[in-house]
Amino acid sequence: MPPLPTMVHSSSFLLPSPPPAPPADADAENAVSYAVVVLNQRLPRFAPLLWTRADLRVCADGGANRVFDGMPELLPGEDPDEVRTRYKPDAIEGDMDSVRPEVKEYYSSLGTQIIDDSHDQDTTDLNKCISFITKNPPGPDSSNLCILVLGALGGRFDHEMGNINVLYRFSNTRIILLSDDSSIFLLPRTHNHEIRIERSVEGPHCGLIPVGAPSSSSTTTGLRWNLDNTSMNFGGLLSTSNIVEEEIVTVTSDSDLIWTISLRKHT
Amino acid sequence: MLWRTIRSMEVMAHSSNFLLPKLHQPAKTPANNYTLVVLNQQLPRFMPRLWAQAKMRICADGGANRVFDEMSQMKNDLDRNRYIPEIIEGDMDSIRPEVKRFYSSQGSKISDKSHNQETTDLHKCISSIRHRTPDHEKPNLCVLVTGALGGRFDHEAANINVLYVFSDMRIVLLSDDCLIQLLPKTHHHEIYIESSVEGPHCGIFPIGAPSTSTTTTGLKWNLSDAEMRFGSMISTSNIVDSDKVTVQSDADLLWTISLRNLT
Repeated sequence: MPPLPTMVHSSSFLLPSPPPAPPADADAENAVSYAVVVLNQRLPRFAPLLWTRADLRVCADGGANRVFDGMPELLPGEDPDEVRTRYKPDAIEGDMDSVRPEVKEYYSSLGTQIIDDSHDQDTTDLNKCISFITKNPPGPDSSNLCILVLGALGGRFDHEMGNINVLYRFSNTRIILLSDDSSIFLLPRTHNHEIRIERSVEGPHCGLIPVGAPSSSSTTTGLRWNLDNTSMNFGGLLSTSNIVEEEIVTVTSDSDLIWTISLRKHT
Repeated sequence: MLWRTIRSMEVMAHSSNFLLPKLHQPAKTPANNYTLVVLNQQLPRFMPRLWAQAKMRICADGGANRVFDEMSQMKNDLDRNRYIPEIIEGDMDSIRPEVKRFYSSQGSKISDKSHNQETTDLHKCISSIRHRTPDHEKPNLCVLVTGALGGRFDHEAANINVLYVFSDMRIVLLSDDCLIQLLPKTHHHEIYIESSVEGPHCGIFPIGAPSTSTTTTGLKWNLSDAEMRFGSMISTSNIVDSDKVTVQSDADLLWTISLRNLT
């Protein structure tokens, strides 16, 4: 059986300033373009940083309220109107039942694209936004696109599950769900994974969760309690409260896994 | 085929009448026969009522800090003596020394499980509850847990896993927004909806393993022998459409319903 291709993951987008000169093999990393999706929950403290890093910014319905209200709060030293103009979404998409009319008006008058998908009740707001972004990728090509989602965790549990399901449904797209406390993304079983840890902004707590189906064999390196051909399933063992010990964590599994790592408080 | 399955499978009934104010609870249902476990996250708005009506209260480690700091504020009542947990249990790496001293002096039993680093604080608490409960009382046992959702995602996953590990116990995880509980595949489930305090938003998820066949009644979008799987269809943003929801599946499922009007 041919070896699995390797997928490399990096959270350098969380660093306060652009990363230092990249190593020779990091051409792929250089070309990464970011899109940010904001869902309808309180913005995490690093929202302005990620927004600035991104090439495309989309609010899912009430996420627009959160940007309107929350960005000036996160940048208290600055004039709220200037902040709002600077942190203007490229699009607001969804069924429009949560965005306040005056917020929609405000951004629309600044040129934000309003995409009313209320006719489509079959998919979640996040699902719609991901579809929109993959069809209209920023940057030269979508192969190095990474979509950062704010507000996907916490709140109503069925929303959180729907958001995690989006990771599984769009398993060929790099999508990272971020909260103040954690970062999570899918490790598809089709690849060996190399996760580069930015210790200044993330860790040390981490975990691997077989949300959709059990894993009969997972193997890792770089963790305090590595897995070695270990099986994991709900009702039995999951890898939680693990600790990253090295700068690169590798994961191989026969099942899709959700990787999670804690974010440091000053991030 | 479905009829034969129902006949051979026991029915498990679920009700959230523990969420109702005492006056409104049905006389014969032992709705206050629950143990409350408090984990280390901000207390939900309705904590005072949950606390008052519990049979027993256990703080898991830093959950004691939360009760110490937040409970009296919620009730606008500075008397911490009114909110003393019977037990404080866990590995004791989060509870503040002065909090531990205070509750210990007020009679809380301190159960230090720091030698056991294999399991989470919630796991330890559930395990102890089960261990302490006589066999004849086990079928009536119900554990309500606050602070299990939100926060660090690996903690949340581990807390959800406790529902699966102890699948023969009724354990309900509660947050300000919703409750979640396991519907084991071994039973046909009847969920009685208290519409004054829960709903209408609900969902059903095949966490841990896919379902090839799930059937429901009482929902706006019912499932009929449907497949559910992460990567494909799961039931989110559903709506309860009746006083009773029934669920039957070939896989363990997680049920969630939104909470409202709770103070």
